[in-house]
Amino acid sequence: MSSAPILDARGLGRRFGGREVVAGLSLSLQEGQSLALIGPNGAGKSTTLAMLTTALRPDAGTAQVGGFDVVRQARQVRGLLGVLFQEPALDERMTPRETLRLHAALHRVPRRDVAASVADALEAAGLVEAADRPIRGFSGGMKRRLELARALMHAPRLLVLDEPTLGLDPQGRLDLWGRIGALRARGMAVLMATHVLTEAESFDRVAILDRGRLVALDTPEALKRAHAGDPAASLEDVFLALTGRALRDEAHPLRPALVRRRA
Amino acid sequence: MIWAAVNPDAIDPRVIAAIWRREVTGYLRDRAQIFGGVSRTVLWLVILGFGLGATLREIEGYTYSQYILPGVMVLNVLFASMQSAFALVYDRRHGLLRQVLVSPAPLASVTLGKLAGGASVGVIQGSIPLLFAPLVGVPLSLPGVLAAWAVMFSMGFALTGVGVVIALRLKGLQGFGSLSNGVIQPLYFLSGSIFPLKGIVGGIGFLDIPQSLRDQLRDHGIYAIGGGWVVELPLWLEAIVRVNPISYQLDLMRSALLGFHQLPQGLALAVAAGVPLVSLAAATWSLGRIGKD
Repeated sequence: MSSAPILDARGLGRRFGGREVVAGLSLSLQEGQSLALIGPNGAGKSTTLAMLTTALRPDAGTAQVGGFDVVRQARQVRGLLGVLFQEPALDERMTPRETLRLHAALHRVPRRDVAASVADALEAAGLVEAADRPIRGFSGGMKRRLELARALMHAPRLLVLDEPTLGLDPQGRLDLWGRIGALRARGMAVLMATHVLTEAESFDRVAILDRGRLVALDTPEALKRAHAGDPAASLEDVFLALTGRALRDEAHPLRPALVRRRA
Repeated sequence: MIWAAVNPDAIDPRVIAAIWRREVTGYLRDRAQIFGGVSRTVLWLVILGFGLGATLREIEGYTYSQYILPGVMVLNVLFASMQSAFALVYDRRHGLLRQVLVSPAPLASVTLGKLAGGASVGVIQGSIPLLFAPLVGVPLSLPGVLAAWAVMFSMGFALTGVGVVIALRLKGLQGFGSLSNGVIQPLYFLSGSIFPLKGIVGGIGFLDIPQSLRDQLRDHGIYAIGGGWVVELPLWLEAIVRVNPISYQLDLMRSALLGFHQLPQGLALAVAAGVPLVSLAAATWSLGRIGKD
């Protein structure tokens, strides 16, 4: 474990229209480690990831990625991140090859390396055959594989995943999960928000968020011992013990806020 | 560019080219948009042009179709730019823009690529009416066409920027219909595209004389002979036309293609050169505001 964390957030907070969506959040992640963010709807998972990936400006606290501040040094931070959003961030009129070439330009992959790194990414995504077909006709699994290969193309130091398996069929989920597992085994630092608690089981540490606050942060085993009283319990038992059984009907806070702006 | 002076880091030619290519490639794969450009041209230039032209006969020595040809080009540029800009509404929530915004690519270059892409699509869409020029009897010259392309690029660039600023304030795509009516149509109608500011209109007889004689008369600044009506817009309407930047760009195109203009050409050139820069600054600023408040 290296001494300087790849991710270090302190007292991070964000309000939307007077409501605290994330408050006083402190997290850190070492190189090569994985951290899963879990929590009920409206817990602030997506808002947290948006702030850590420089897409949303925090209004309290600080966060650093690789020692760079996410607000003041956003550009350096962006160079270190590979990001997979909840929904595909693709132009469906484009082909995988065009998508990857565009990404290479955005991330300043040296010109002489572009052809090779596009070929490698297509190979890794298993999309060599489909490389020149518009994405429009692709399955959810194919799109995710393309996006994962794209997120890794510029050799990021931290991979950020927001519910990466959402909307995938079991085969697609299994495949993506195998890919993410392999990356972790190779020492890639991974930060992931998820609803699928079984996915978080294998992570080094799990952070449980509720109503914008961190309610627990530890290894899955320690969480189970402390909150479910039984190391054989599931994360779901821990989750329900900590966040209760009441349904959460709050609307997603980020959606309207990213679209509508206050003067 | 003003940016290069402020921050040389903001200009990355690879990013500009990559974003531009995405815009143009997407357009070339969108048959509906190309079809829209052709159908608008047929509707306005051919059907309205010949239909209303039968009544009006001549405007300043041009048939109505000839007179509105540059206007129909403007209409196509308007649609293309607004469509390109409003694609951002979807792009920002469900599309590629999110990935672009978390990349280290400088925002000014992303904006420049987007606006240049919208402008290029505008030039292609705006050139569709040019294909009908022989049908309506407008002779095309290489310098004339090049000048028209330059003006359409300037117009498309500026309009895409304005569209980007508007699009980033929209909640959803439901606003597109009202905005296309509320932005495109006023800009089109109030640019002098389909009626002259002032001029001689009617069954004058200029069109009945041989082409060579017409050309000679136009060289002397004579655009009408015989009898017609002198028309002049109401003052308030003329005032609106004169503050609409599109009017000046349209006037430059009409000058390039027909050799006829109604507004001061020096001012028109200044508008065509200056408006895109202002628009670029506004669009870059708007994109930079995403997620900040």
